[in-house]
Amino acid sequence: MASLSYRSAARIAAREMRSSRGKFFFVILSVAIGVAALTGVRGFSSSFRATLLTRARSIMAADVSARMFEQPTPEQQKGLDEIAADGVEMTPVTELLSMASSSKTLDPLLVSLKAVDPAMYPFYGTVELAPAAALKSVLTANSVAVADDLLVRLHMKVGDDLKIGNKLFRIASVVVNEPDRLSGNFAAGPRVLISREGLEASGLLAPGSHAGQRFLFKLPAPRDGSAMPNSKVSALRDRLEKLLPESRVIDYRETNPALTQGLDRATSLLSLMSLVALVLGAIGVGMAMRAHLQQRLDTIAIMKSLGASSAQIMKIYLLQTLLLGLLGGVIGVALGVGVQMAFPHLLAGLLHMQTVIHVQGRTVLTGLAVGVLTTLLFTLPPLLDIRGVRPVLILRRAVEESDDPFVTAVFRKLRKNGAQIGAAVLILAGLAAIATTLSDSAMVGGVFSLGLVSVLAILLAASALVLAGLKWFLGRTRLRLPSAVRHGLANLYRPGNPSAALLAALGLGVMQIMTVYFVQQAVVRELHISSAPNLPNVFLVDITPSEIDGVRVLLKSQPSVTVPPEMLPVVSSRIVAIDGVAADQAKLKNFPKRMLQSISLTWADSAPPGTSAVAGKWWQVGEKSPVVAVSQRDAERLGVKVGSHLTFAAQDSRFTATVVALTKADGQHAYSRAAFVLPPATLAGLPVVWYGGVHADPARVGELQRALFKAYPTVTVINVAQALETVRSVVIQITYVIQFLAAFSIFAGIIILASSIAGTRYRRIREVVVLKTLGATRRRIATIFSIEFAVLGLVAGIVGITFANLIARVLLHRMNVVFHWQWRWSAAALVGTAALTVATGWAASHRILGQKPLEVLREE
Amino acid sequence: MNAMEGRIAPMIHVEGLHKSIRNGTRTVDILKGVDFTIPQGQFAAIMGASGSGKSTLLGLLAGLDTPSSGDVRLNGIAISYLPEDKLAQVRGKTIGFVFQSYQLIPTLTALENVLLPYELNEGDTQDGLARAQDLLTSVGLGDRLGHYPVQLSGGEQQRVALARAFILRPPIVLADEPTGNLDSTNGEHVLELLLNLNRKEGTTLVLVTHDAALAAYADRRITLRDGLIVSDEISRSATGSAGME
Repeated sequence: MASLSYRSAARIAAREMRSSRGKFFFVILSVAIGVAALTGVRGFSSSFRATLLTRARSIMAADVSARMFEQPTPEQQKGLDEIAADGVEMTPVTELLSMASSSKTLDPLLVSLKAVDPAMYPFYGTVELAPAAALKSVLTANSVAVADDLLVRLHMKVGDDLKIGNKLFRIASVVVNEPDRLSGNFAAGPRVLISREGLEASGLLAPGSHAGQRFLFKLPAPRDGSAMPNSKVSALRDRLEKLLPESRVIDYRETNPALTQGLDRATSLLSLMSLVALVLGAIGVGMAMRAHLQQRLDTIAIMKSLGASSAQIMKIYLLQTLLLGLLGGVIGVALGVGVQMAFPHLLAGLLHMQTVIHVQGRTVLTGLAVGVLTTLLFTLPPLLDIRGVRPVLILRRAVEESDDPFVTAVFRKLRKNGAQIGAAVLILAGLAAIATTLSDSAMVGGVFSLGLVSVLAILLAASALVLAGLKWFLGRTRLRLPSAVRHGLANLYRPGNPSAALLAALGLGVMQIMTVYFVQQAVVRELHISSAPNLPNVFLVDITPSEIDGVRVLLKSQPSVTVPPEMLPVVSSRIVAIDGVAADQAKLKNFPKRMLQSISLTWADSAPPGTSAVAGKWWQVGEKSPVVAVSQRDAERLGVKVGSHLTFAAQDSRFTATVVALTKADGQHAYSRAAFVLPPATLAGLPVVWYGGVHADPARVGELQRALFKAYPTVTVINVAQALETVRSVVIQITYVIQFLAAFSIFAGIIILASSIAGTRYRRIREVVVLKTLGATRRRIATIFSIEFAVLGLVAGIVGITFANLIARVLLHRMNVVFHWQWRWSAAALVGTAALTVATGWAASHRILGQKPLEVLREE
Repeated sequence: MNAMEGRIAPMIHVEGLHKSIRNGTRTVDILKGVDFTIPQGQFAAIMGASGSGKSTLLGLLAGLDTPSSGDVRLNGIAISYLPEDKLAQVRGKTIGFVFQSYQLIPTLTALENVLLPYELNEGDTQDGLARAQDLLTSVGLGDRLGHYPVQLSGGEQQRVALARAFILRPPIVLADEPTGNLDSTNGEHVLELLLNLNRKEGTTLVLVTHDAALAAYADRRITLRDGLIVSDEISRSATGSAGME
């Protein structure tokens, strides 16, 4: 055997696999399910994220936008051309207020004009028109699309001519929804969409006009259909901020923080699930291979007594392991791809969106590599054990039982055996590498692996402790306990029985499953709050103080308005100094100096709905001193922090306020648009206009619009119901998908754990035979095993669920999500774990119980 | 048939026993029609070369497998076709079994291993406790009651197995190469203990062995070859002790 060729080794390995297919079935099943969960979850979530991100981008109609007040300088234009050369698309959007009138009545009306290039705009989402049509075909140099509001006010209809500037435009269509309505200006006056040529022709762009210009940018989509990495979006934003220091650059994530935050959390959760699927698969592989190699001890001893070296035997089992990993991996990838294809159909009723599934070569390869690699990694320690197998085993079977208990064995091995330490390090490095590939971050990969190892060590220690406690208890009560209970408990620490390993594996599995569940629950709960159905979806602009009470009364009387409206007072002002430095000398970062001239201030006694302080503290009700809360993003751009002083000028008055809080808004409330909030006392007596945010039944917004126009014709009504519905539906879809994927991960995890438990059944066969020979009935044997399995399940459950709660708490804290201790679910999971362990133990032992003892003894 | 069988109540009665097993597509006949009766109190050795069918025969006597045809009666009860759990009860109450490889439960102490049949069949531990302790003392393990099997040598483990086989005072003890895994000193010691217990308890003992020296201790030697009985001899001393002419 000195020159055992790979061919011969493969032949022996393959023959052994053929001879005991049943035993190998569990190994392959564990690998396959692990890989399938990984491929399925990862593949689908990647495709889903790409689709979802496209939807999220439609809120801004672009990846990044830059608001400018001046035309780019030649140097800036050169920079923009370079960006375009990198494949980034760019289109300008010009917004300005203007007067428009009907060609018949010549009644003027203030309109909010928006000029776009219909060939490019919007990059994401669509402009909904009535009657339905493509913007490209509607918007020409001579036509416009207008809000319904305008037709009502000017008593016009589609097809009529509208005079804007010095040109007549045909009203070609009604604008129902613009994708970037939430991110644009909430200016007074109904919307008029016009082509860029049309705007040029109107002559409104005279030098000095107050037109606001936004450039929209779109990054080239990754070719493999995967989601656009956030890093690329951030990189473009940073590049633009450097290039255009006088412009306000924002990326799509800032337009609706609630949505993008939900998306980020969902993404973290999805990668967590991928990693969990990986570890669960690895546990399955590890447990199955350990049991398998222990079964092979006799064969190994025979080969050794025939002169085989450890290296030769390891060659055989290494090849076998590779074969098993590959087989499981291929089946797993096939299953995973199948699952990935099936997801959109299963979810078709819930997801009102087309998720384009790309089966990515990378995902498939990762799945396959993970299957083979984890199999190899986790088989390494038992493979190395081959060196310690003594040929005497074939002469005295009892030697097999003289193994130390698992934990002691592990520590003994670690002490004695450098190779085992090497294997442990290799496993850790391998897992880190896989986790890094999966999470696209070396840091996450490292933290994950280290965390896993620490948790595993703690779980092993906790399991060993519990087992030692049980042993102590048994030693004290020994013969006073009913014999079935005593026997069942004693089985937990049978020498050579991997109770501690199984306990740790089960505990780890339960921990991972429950962590996914708890985090998923909390994230979904949070998402439901941020997509609450009563957020303002109609905004009212330019309500005068004399109208405000009347508007309130009118809104109250509207049956379509079910929630009290949010009213926001706005005082127009300027910033004249920042920390004592005059405004024109101030160093600003991407905050056009011109914008310091039109700063909107508002007042509130306490933090308004949807706004929270991220630094500093909100003031007490009745605050008299001049203090101000500034939005975090504007504070960065102005270079102020808590304790800074801002000097404002409004009308003739001038005052300096101390920054006491930096705020963050969810982008979904009337107050979300307020960057500077002060106590009411500070702004008392200054001229004010009011803005309102109202939630109305989306189907009855038109009714509300007409009623308001009738009573208050000068108040502009901006309907964002459609846009908000988009946000809401995306958020709800996120919740469906993460719930679905979590359920899938949990299901796969349960199967893997079940097969780990089932894998121990071969150890029990001999015991069953002896018990039967001594007169035990099947019922009696089943009782003994049930007690053993139930205790195993309960202990694993307690340890796993405790850790799951701790880890979920930490993870959720990092995600800024509130953690609620869910004792009901924890208790249910505990009972469930015990029931599952007993049920699988039973299912796996059922056949053994019916076997004739002599069949087994004859094999001995 | 043996002259002795008709006079004393038969403890084991075997009639037309066949056993075949399927090995792939081939059927192998292990026992091809075996008949014999063993009276109460007799010590019979079943001998034969490897593959002669002796262990299968012992397994069928213990109800550890079902014959292909034929019948086994233990103490008047036909056991061959009893349902599994009924069979377990018969085994528990009627048979003590000694395996070649001891087959102790590794998670239980020596005392608990001996007590196990008692608990499985009688229920009350306390009554059996004294007997288990006595038995273990009688096999020289009175000071090792709390030891686990891994803490005992092979010979000691087999002595625990002997004590376990006798705990319920079964009318029949079946032993499959009980000294096969032991060196000669330990083997002799175990055999001596087995015979002592057998005498003291008055059990019917059936021992499977291929060792002629061991079989020489028996009252009767049944030899198998290729699944058939080729000789059935009673030793002179046994004839005398059984009260024959």
